[in-house]
Formats: sequence, structure tokens, C-alpha cells
Amino acid sequence: MLPMMRNQTLKSWRSAEQWLLGSMVLALAMAAFIWLVLGPAPAAPAYLTAVVLLIASLLASLIMMLRVGTTRRQMEAVLHGRARAEQHAIEALRYSEAQWKEVFEHNPVMYFMVDAAGTVLSVNTFGAAQLGYSVSELLGQSVLKVFPAEEQRAAQSNVAICLENIGQTHSWEIRKVRKDGSALWVRENAKAVRRVDNQLIVLIACEDITERKDAENALRQSEMYQAEAQRLSHTGSFGRRVGSGEIIWSEETFRIFGFDKAPSVQLAAVMQRIHPDDRARVQRTIDRASIDEKDFELGYRLLMPDGSVKHVHATAHTVADASSGIEFVGAVTDVTARKQAEVELHEAQTNLAHVTRVTALGEMAASIAHEVNQPLAAVVTNAAACLRWLDREPANLKEARGTLRSIINDGNRAGEVIQRVRALVNKTTDRKALHINEVVNEVMSLVHHELFSHRVALRLDLAPALPPVLADRIQLQQVILNLVVNGIEAMQQVKDRPRELVIRTLQDETSQVLVTVSDVGVGVAAENADRLFDAFFTTKSSGMGMGLSICRSIVDAHGGRLSASGNTGPGATFQFTLPLHREDST
Amino acid sequence: MTGRPASRDTLTSAEEPVVFVVDDDASMREALSNLFRSVGLRVEVFGSAHEFLQSTLPNVASCLILDIRLPRLSGLDFQAELAKADIRIPIIFMTGHGDIPMTVRAMKAGAVDFLTKPFRDQDMLDAVTTAIERDRVSRDEARVLSGLHARFATLTPREREVMALVTAGRMNKQIAAEIGIAEITVKIHRGHIMRKMTAKSLPDLVRMAEMLGIGPAAGGPQT
Repeated sequence: MLPMMRNQTLKSWRSAEQWLLGSMVLALAMAAFIWLVLGPAPAAPAYLTAVVLLIASLLASLIMMLRVGTTRRQMEAVLHGRARAEQHAIEALRYSEAQWKEVFEHNPVMYFMVDAAGTVLSVNTFGAAQLGYSVSELLGQSVLKVFPAEEQRAAQSNVAICLENIGQTHSWEIRKVRKDGSALWVRENAKAVRRVDNQLIVLIACEDITERKDAENALRQSEMYQAEAQRLSHTGSFGRRVGSGEIIWSEETFRIFGFDKAPSVQLAAVMQRIHPDDRARVQRTIDRASIDEKDFELGYRLLMPDGSVKHVHATAHTVADASSGIEFVGAVTDVTARKQAEVELHEAQTNLAHVTRVTALGEMAASIAHEVNQPLAAVVTNAAACLRWLDREPANLKEARGTLRSIINDGNRAGEVIQRVRALVNKTTDRKALHINEVVNEVMSLVHHELFSHRVALRLDLAPALPPVLADRIQLQQVILNLVVNGIEAMQQVKDRPRELVIRTLQDETSQVLVTVSDVGVGVAAENADRLFDAFFTTKSSGMGMGLSICRSIVDAHGGRLSASGNTGPGATFQFTLPLHREDST
Repeated sequence: MTGRPASRDTLTSAEEPVVFVVDDDASMREALSNLFRSVGLRVEVFGSAHEFLQSTLPNVASCLILDIRLPRLSGLDFQAELAKADIRIPIIFMTGHGDIPMTVRAMKAGAVDFLTKPFRDQDMLDAVTTAIERDRVSRDEARVLSGLHARFATLTPREREVMALVTAGRMNKQIAAEIGIAEITVKIHRGHIMRKMTAKSLPDLVRMAEMLGIGPAAGGPQT
């Protein structure tokens, strides 16, 4: 419209010029005509002057006209140029606008322009398409339409925040809902601006982050599973960063070590938590692993701030490819409960073994008692009857004699019972050539816990290269076990000196193998010394008094000798000898 | 071992009592036999409960000495067996182990005593004396009762009817009216009853009726 109007103005210019030129030609012709018709009148100077003036004014008009024409042409040229440039600019603008429109419409970002009330003023095609709508379906609608019910409040408040801080960009993540009802996660960047017409609008650009969110959720879930699994299995993970030496822990590792959660921990702090008795060993293992770059595995204890002790088991694996920035990764498991269970199991086993032994012994004793009691009752009854036969008037000597014979038979029978028990004990032995040191070590593995729980230090002084003895392994174990347990019990009351149990094996002057078990306990009272090995003799409230008696019969059956003596210092020493095993005797 | 009497019916309570011993231990059997013989008691010994049950028991005051630990059938089970077979003989238990629950069970089942081996001879003899005395009394009672039963069996049905009414305290006239016979006939029946039952007096007859557990068929109120 505008260029056309300018063209008309130019044209009118041109016609005015022509009109002026035409009228000037007409005036000149008129003057010439007057001059020719009237003839020259030299006498009339005024007339002449008028003609001259007329001609001069005509000339002047002509020159003026030419000047004006030139100027006009110059101006026209300038104007034309300007119009061309303007045209060019407009075209460029149009092109640019189309381009931007293209960008706006199809940039893979959803653009929304809403007013303060949340009505959609503008939306790009991409944005509408992403939500399953056409642009026209959204224009003029409330923007809440694209939010699920539970997110609408958040959407509203987000818009409100933008409106309160005009010009500032805000961003948030929110869920939207498509026309078909499916949901998507978006990240929105928004800012409120005041338009030229003073209307407040909010510009929103949002990007679909559903995939990222899904990945995040999957990761979070996986992390949650992992944390849960770690918690359930009492196993934490750890790793060491290359260079910094920082240690990275999982949540469970923090829990096991009793530290507050932090991005990383220093090895020195970890070492402080390790039980002082285990610290050096752990340090050595870690140092060796760092040098050798080898995997390692070790169990150690943690001393917690509350004084409790945790047993943990750690395994670590060096990472060959250090591009991950991690030198090694490992797992640490809290095995306190398992250790506790092991201890309890061991106790239960020990108790069971004890009960079994006592029960077996009790049953055997009851059976022996019954066997011996029968002839004994017969003896007593016969003896009473015998007295009555003799007390008769006159005494019935024949019956009395017969009765006494019965008494002798019954007495012998009781003796036979005892013989049978002895034979039974000997028959069940299974003697083989064995090394006494092995037997001692086997027993030590059984009493290790007992020693530990009674805080008894054990010293083994075993002579190397002792010749083998011919003995029943189980019975020998029983003897040594009995002596060791006796020693431990004898030291139970000892508070003023270290409780120490010494087991020695050696070859004595008669080249028999000698085993001694010494304690620093209550010792042996002189009046009890010769009764120690009697059956049913005990100084203990819970004992049966069978232990040492059985030990002695076992040692006797092996052709050895068991004896006891008080130490020069506190405590007592029990010792037994065993004859050597000779090849030809087997 | 002494010979056994052929028949129990011919024996009376005056006869010599006998002690039975059941123990699987031969020397114990012998010792007990010795002890009882030394005080002049008759004794018979058995190695098992089975042996004892197989034998014919003399009808004299007796008691049984039983080891609680018998092979196969235990002493307590044996006691139950005897009770089931209605053999009422006082039992003295012997045991090697003073087992309280066993003692309680044995005593509840009617044991006279419970002795732990080895026992004092006097304790055993005292227990035997008590047991035999108890058996003698119950045997006497049983014998009296069986005599009564035998005599009662000789009565005619009419006499039994009359005896029930008489011992219930009815007058002859009442009885006659009740069973519809003449008073004189009642008197004759009474005479027969007194003679057949060897009753010395009416109170004697009443006691006999009580022991037999008989009363009037139609128990009217006693006047």
C-alpha cells in the first residue's frame, strides 16, 4: 500500500511540471503574437519594457523549470532508490519472520505463551503435537488442560511464581498429560514478561524428559534394591579413588562402621574404628594388597564407640582398568550375628558333649549299680536268715552252712560284675600308634573357646619328634580334655594373677612319653591328695567326681600312670606317662 | 520246694499260710526262701510272673513278694493282671531303685508295702506278717459269705420271699396278708428258714440277710 502511494505523488509532480512548461510556452506565443500584430512601437518604451519584462520572466521561468526538473529527477532517483531498499528490507524481514516462525513451530521444544489467568495465547505446532493436540485445540483454553489433576496445583503455583518475579527465568520438572491420557515428564523454563500493550504474559519452553526420568527412576529403584539387599545381607560396599586415596562407602558400610554418611572417608578414620588388636594386621594386609595389586580377604573386629565389638569380613578386588578412577572395590559383611551363633553353637556342643558324657556315665553307673545290688541284697538277706538259723533252739547248723555258701556265691557274683565292667571298658578301646602332640593339638581346638571365655592363657611346650605311643585316640583326648577343663575350673577364682595353663610333652628318663598339665589355680589340698582319683570324690559343686577316676583307669589301661602334685608356686600339675609303641608289639 | 496241696476247697483258714516270691534273680529267690523258712514260714518261689500264673494256688492265707523289675511283664503290669483275673492277694514290692512314681503307682493299686533292696530282714518279715493277716481276714469273710450263699441256695422260692419280709421286720400276720397265705403257713416257713440258715435268733437272720444283701421285693415302709 505504502509504495503505491509514493508512486502517485511522483506522477502528480510530473504533470505539474508539464503544466507549468505548457503555460509558459503559451504566454511566450501570446507575447510574440501581440508584437507581430501591433507592430513595433519604438515610441512606446513602457510597452517595450513590458515585453522585455515578459520575455525575461519567461526565460527566468524556463530556467527555473529546468532547474526544478533536474532537482525533481534527482529527488525521484533518490526516492526510487529508497523505495527499492525499503522493499528489500521488507522482503528480508518477511523471510526472517518465516524462518523464525518455522523455528518456533518446529523446534523440538514445546513453547507456550499464557496470560496471567493461564489461558493459552500461543503454542507451537510441535508443542501441541507432543501433547496430541492441534494448535487450535489449545488456543484460548486453560493451560491446566495439559496437566494431570494432581499436578495442576503445582502448575498454577509455578505460573504464579513467574508472575511475581517478572523477567526472571524459573525452571521446574512436572508431569503433563496428553490428549490420549498418557503421561510425560517435562522440564519447563518459564519467565513472565510485560508485553507492549502492558499485558502480562508467561512464556514457557518445555522439553520432554520422560526418558531421563524413567532412567532416573530405574536407577533410583536399582539403588534402592541394592541398598535394601545390602541392608538385608549386612554387606556394604567400598572403593578407593585413585590418587586422593579417598574411600567411597555405600550406605550400609557407613551403618556397619557406625559413621555418619559422607561423600567419602579417610583411611585413617577407618583404621581408628578397627579393633586395636586387629589394626596392625589389617594395615599389613591393605599395604600388601596395594603393592601386589592383588585381591584380598580378611576378617577383623571393629570397636564401636559404645564399646561393643563387631566382627566383619571384608573382601576386595583390584580394578585392572583404572579409567573409572577407582583402584579397588570391595564388600564388607557384618558377621557379628554369625560369630555369635558360632559361639553359641560351640557352647551348645560343649554342653551337649558334657551332658552326653554325664548321661552315658550315669546310665552306666545305674546299670552297674543294679548289677551289683542284686547279689548284695541276696548277701544281706542270706546273712539275716543265717543268723536266724543259728538263733534257733537248737541252732540249725545245716541250714546255716548252706546259707553261708550262698553268701559266698553271691559275693563272687558281685565281683564278677565288676570284672565284666572292666573287660567292657578295655574291649571298646581302639589302640593305634599315634603322636601325642597331635592329640594335644586336637584337644586344644576343642577347648580354644573355653580358654578364651575364661581368659586363660595357654602355653604349649611340646617336645618335637616324640616317638609314637600305642593308645586309643578318643580316650587319650578324653584324659587331656578332662585335665585341661579341671585346670581351667581350678583357676576360675583366680583374680590376682594371670591365669595360665601349661601343657608339656616330653620323654622322661625311662623314655616313656610324659604329658603334664599345669595350672596356677587353687592347687590340691594335702588331705585330698590321695583321694583325688577315687570315684565319686569331688570338691566341685557340679561335678560327679568321676572325671579323674575315669582318667586314671584309662591311663592304667594303657599301661601308664596318672598322678597329681602341688606346684612350688600356686596351682597343681597333673601328669601321665604312656609307654612307647614298639613296632614288634603290634 | 514243698509239695502243693491237691485241692483248695478242702483246706481251711487254720492251715499254714504261704509266701509266694516272684523274682527273676535266682540268688535273691533263694535268699528270700531261706529267710522265710528260717522263721518257719511256708514259701514258694517263681522265676517269672508267667510261672506264678501257671501254678495252682492253695486256698490258704498268703501274700506275694514281687520284684518290680521283672523281665517281659513288669511287676506293676503283673499287679494289674492279677486284679483283672480277680486274684486278690496282698503284694509286697521289691525294687533295686527307689523309684517314687513307681512306688506311688504300686501303693495306689493296693500294694501292702514297698521295700528297696537290700532291705532289713525284719522289715520284710513285718510286711509279710501284715499281708498274711490281711489276707486271712478277707479269706474268712469270703468263706462266711460263701457258706451263707450255699445255705440260702437251699431255700425254696417261697421261703426266700418270706425271709426277705421277716428280716425287713414284718409281723407274721402282715406277711400272710401280703403274699396271700395263711398265718400258720408263714410260721411253718419261718421255722424252715431258721433251720436251713442255721440262724440262732431273728437278729442273727437279719445280719445274714444284710450280708447276702437281700430285702423285701416290694419294699414297704418298716413299722
